[in-house]
Amino acid sequence: MIKGIFVINNHGKPRLIKDFQRMTQPEQQQTVREIFGLLSKRSDNVCNFLEGGSVTTFSKDTKLIYRHFATLYFVVAADGNESDLGLLDLVQVFVETLDKKFENVCELDLIFRSDMVHHILDEVVMGGMVLETSGKEIMDAVTAMERLELETRSAAIKA
Amino acid sequence: ATMAGSHLTREFFELIKTIGESKSKQEEDRIITDEVTRLREKTKSSKMDKRTTKEFLVRLIYAEMLGHDASFGYVKALEMVAAGNLVEKRVGYLCASLCFAPDQPLRMMLVSRLQKDMQSANILEICFALTAACKLITKDMIGAVLGDADKLLTHEKEIVRKKTVMLLHRFLQLDPASVADYDEKFRRALCDRNPAVMAASLHVYDELVRANPAANKDLVPSFVSILKQVSEGRLPRDFSYHRMPAPWIQMKLLRLLATLGHADQKASEQMYEVLLSCMTRADSGLNVGFAVLYETVRTITCIYPNTTLLDEAAACISRFISSDNHNLRYLGITSLAAIVKDHPQYATKHQMAVMRCLEDPDDTLKRKTLDLLFRMTNPANVEVIVDRLVANLRDAVDVFLRQDLVDRISEVAERFAPSTTWYVQVMTQVFELGGDLVKSSTASSVMRLIAEGGDDEDEEADNEMRTDVVETYLELIDRPGLPDMLLQTLFWVLGEYGYLAESMELPAMCDKICSLAGRAGLNKVTRGYAISAAAKLTAQVGAVVPSAQQLMDSFGASKDVDLAQRCAEFRVLASRLDMMRAVMPVDASCEDVEMEGDEGLAFLDSYVEEALAAGAQAYEKPADMAAAEAEAAAAAASHALRFSAYATPDAGTHMPEAGPSSGAGETAGPGGLQAPAGGGLSAAAGPWGQKGQWGRKPAPAPAPAAAAPAAGFPGTLPGQPGSA
Repeated sequence: MIKGIFVINNHGKPRLIKDFQRMTQPEQQQTVREIFGLLSKRSDNVCNFLEGGSVTTFSKDTKLIYRHFATLYFVVAADGNESDLGLLDLVQVFVETLDKKFENVCELDLIFRSDMVHHILDEVVMGGMVLETSGKEIMDAVTAMERLELETRSAAIKA
Repeated sequence: ATMAGSHLTREFFELIKTIGESKSKQEEDRIITDEVTRLREKTKSSKMDKRTTKEFLVRLIYAEMLGHDASFGYVKALEMVAAGNLVEKRVGYLCASLCFAPDQPLRMMLVSRLQKDMQSANILEICFALTAACKLITKDMIGAVLGDADKLLTHEKEIVRKKTVMLLHRFLQLDPASVADYDEKFRRALCDRNPAVMAASLHVYDELVRANPAANKDLVPSFVSILKQVSEGRLPRDFSYHRMPAPWIQMKLLRLLATLGHADQKASEQMYEVLLSCMTRADSGLNVGFAVLYETVRTITCIYPNTTLLDEAAACISRFISSDNHNLRYLGITSLAAIVKDHPQYATKHQMAVMRCLEDPDDTLKRKTLDLLFRMTNPANVEVIVDRLVANLRDAVDVFLRQDLVDRISEVAERFAPSTTWYVQVMTQVFELGGDLVKSSTASSVMRLIAEGGDDEDEEADNEMRTDVVETYLELIDRPGLPDMLLQTLFWVLGEYGYLAESMELPAMCDKICSLAGRAGLNKVTRGYAISAAAKLTAQVGAVVPSAQQLMDSFGASKDVDLAQRCAEFRVLASRLDMMRAVMPVDASCEDVEMEGDEGLAFLDSYVEEALAAGAQAYEKPADMAAAEAEAAAAAASHALRFSAYATPDAGTHMPEAGPSSGAGETAGPGGLQAPAGGGLSAAAGPWGQKGQWGRKPAPAPAPAAAAPAAGFPGTLPGQPGSA
């Protein structure tokens, strides 16, 4: 099971928090801080996996799978039942989708359109389990949403 | 890309800009606090239109993500869910999903909305509800939405069926009993014509199979068959990822098979063929191919062993471990750790490669390798491995890594030590390098081992061992900055076995210890050990060396009671050195103190009686004190708020209830305060006596039957906790 997905920037600020463990807000903040503490110590030439057991809100067998893109860390926290390499690819799929949707996605996109980012993520992971891994399927769902938004907006303008 | 399609206000944009430019956490906090105030104003102001509310919610989510409470705005999310168009509804659901805490009562208010949306004719609306439900549903809400979810299982759209299965998985996690009779429906999902729905059902099966493997063995043929078809590429091309057919489905199935095949020969035999085929086909050279390969290897190590498969798996592991790719090396080590437990022969081949991984600058890899080495240790290789581990401890900087190393070395050294001497040498190094990280029980074990000697009762060999230890410690004794645990062990060893030393005479040793013991800033406990060591050596030498005398004088008046006591005892015993030798026998730290026939210490009876007669207070056993405490607490608890009417004051003789607030000086009221039974204020018992450290004991309550209310008094309120 995936316990949470976090996007944190190079200064430790959270850009996206998707928690599947039912943590409280303070616990989520604590988690972000501790994850960042672990990640900022990693150099660039190491593996993409970390033991997450030292994070207080996670159980001992938790692992962190992360990728560092420019100014952002994409982190997936999962228990022992998930595939490490598989999750790494999942992050890839997610980021590729963001890129397609936002055209060269950057950090500001994550802030201003956080609702859309969440909607995209909701098509990939649901209830802590991997829902959809096909880039095409995810994009289809995203396009459907976009069309809906456009229709709604034009309807509002006409009204 | 940023402002493309942006319909957000200037206000939000400015907010983000100022936060981005803020120079400190305090400044950022201040900006967000202002923002939260602004949001709060908006909720109070006249109705926000839907568009504004939508942005409002996005900003609320943002503020909460940065750790600020904006729960005043939650109600807006509910509004949007209920009355907004699809886009707005979705944002409302999103806000609720992200922000509503597990115990937020507003969740309940969404139930009827969820039900309605799940019955909608609009696919998107159904999907929004399903996604939100997955996050928001608690155990007690399952019943309310299960019916609607059930209907959606057979919806014509695959995306709905898929998400419904995921929702049911959530129900399964929250309350397995809620979906206990869904076997048939799950089977249907597994056989769904759309592979995505089938994939979703695998999550459900993962949960079910792990909970009860035995009950699900009949699924093995189905899983094997699906895996075969998937890996042979029979799924629609959409399900391929980088030309690998449905890798995530393969991985999920492999995990299922691993659980089902574990320790079950019959089940495992059905899997061997497909596992071999998967392995061959997964070898694509791409990351995702390695992912599937790793899962196959893992499954092979979990199920009933098959030599061909294990050999193939081992070959795979070899490639992983020697790869340049860090991730693969990590997975190689992990697989090796899995295989080495039941099939150690595969590990020895890789010993050198593993050692190299231990040197890797990557901390994660190092930790995983330590874990592996730990599992690989046996009496044959323990010395080599421990050597490497200790070298690592010397260089390691990260605290968690150091703790790990200390714990593992201690455990492995104790378990597989070829000799006590070796064990003590290793532990001395660990004490030196690990300092405070070593458990205090470890030091005790080491000391005990030295004292008890070897199993074979060979006194000569034991003394040889002890001499080695003593000499080792004598070499160390002058080294500055030794950790406390090491010093304590050192002092103990020298005190007990210093006489075996070949390089130093006892008086000189005593001198050395005393000078160290007198050092400023020494830890109290360590100093205590040193003082005791000096005392023991004095007993053995038979004379008090001047440095010892000086030591005892300096600390005889110490504020620390333990040290003062040790010095006082020394001073008394030093005047009778033969007694001192009896009190501190040589090489007898493991022997019991014998008190033949006088375990009750009867010889002290007269001493005790004298003291009692002179007015000393008798000793009250802690157990008795605890019982008295409990009694008093129970009596006090019975004087909680009273909900029943007071008894009519009459001329009767029962005492009024005296709560903790009653003063001792209360004079007689109409009920009459009687003197306590037993009479006399000097009696120890009674509420106003001197007994007990709580001064007054609350008086016992009168029997409830006596508290019959007269007419005109309010009767006892029903269901109220009465007095005891």
